[in-house]
Amino acid sequence: MRWAIVRFPGSNCDEDARFALKKAGMEAAFVWHTEKELKGFDGVFLPGGFSYGDYLRPGALAAKSPVMEAVRRFAEEGRYVIGVCNGFQVLTEAGILPGALLANLNLHFTCKEVGVRVERVDLPFTRLYGKGQVLRLPIAHAEGRYYADRETLARLEGEGLVVFRYAPLGGEEDYNPNGSLHDIAGIVNKRGNVLGMMPHPERAVDEVLGGTDGLPFFLGLAKEVAR
Amino acid sequence: MPRYQATLLIELKEGILDPQGRAVEGVLRDLGHPVEGVRVGKVLEVVFQEENLLKAEERAKALGQLLANPVMETWTLEALKEVP
Repeated sequence: MRWAIVRFPGSNCDEDARFALKKAGMEAAFVWHTEKELKGFDGVFLPGGFSYGDYLRPGALAAKSPVMEAVRRFAEEGRYVIGVCNGFQVLTEAGILPGALLANLNLHFTCKEVGVRVERVDLPFTRLYGKGQVLRLPIAHAEGRYYADRETLARLEGEGLVVFRYAPLGGEEDYNPNGSLHDIAGIVNKRGNVLGMMPHPERAVDEVLGGTDGLPFFLGLAKEVAR
Repeated sequence: MPRYQATLLIELKEGILDPQGRAVEGVLRDLGHPVEGVRVGKVLEVVFQEENLLKAEERAKALGQLLANPVMETWTLEALKEVP
């Protein structure tokens, strides 16, 4: 499986994404945000970072860049689109996933490891996890508070589109790091091919990075293609 | 073509918690100002050329739609004027 990792001005988790995809046995190449086509790729990865310096709103200007029309087509064609952190912000700003990411309630840029519970294991990204398993994944964001209006939230919950939720790692009460509604850390579209999440699985794929809980995420994707 | 300047005000929707506003509110209260609430928004001043005032207004509104995120924000065209 060949992945396009889109680079916006300010992307900084692009190398991490490539490292993780390759480690799981997949191919990955960087694509500049001015490209209009994504030929020869099977999936798109929108990496974390600070596209356009988070000016206007995080992800807002990147969401209007030329490559995003191709990403939208990818999503509509049922091919895999993953947005992590700033990539998630780009997907919501582009309207490819519902909701928005607002400033963390505590107003801090929060960089730490958090507990992330896997709510669904029927997706390629999560098939190698156990249902309800709590992963230890890093977060690094200032605007990660998931927000959606009441109807959208009800639809997400009703259709089981919440894939990842913040959860206590060791019984702590303040486990929700940003004030996300319903503790939402990651969601998927109805078809199951577009995923957005604030925690960074690509930064937890090797012991030297401090953990490997993100590796099955990528191995599951690689397995999907092999099927 | 004449040049116009549009002033767009972008604010968080009512009912959405604005932690930035809360922080400012807290400081103002600490300083002894009896404020009831603070909301922090953004002002964008956009200058562009357009044939006439009517078309300029259309463009300014299109820019408001483009620049605000309707999930969480509202936008208002606060002012539109011809500039030298």
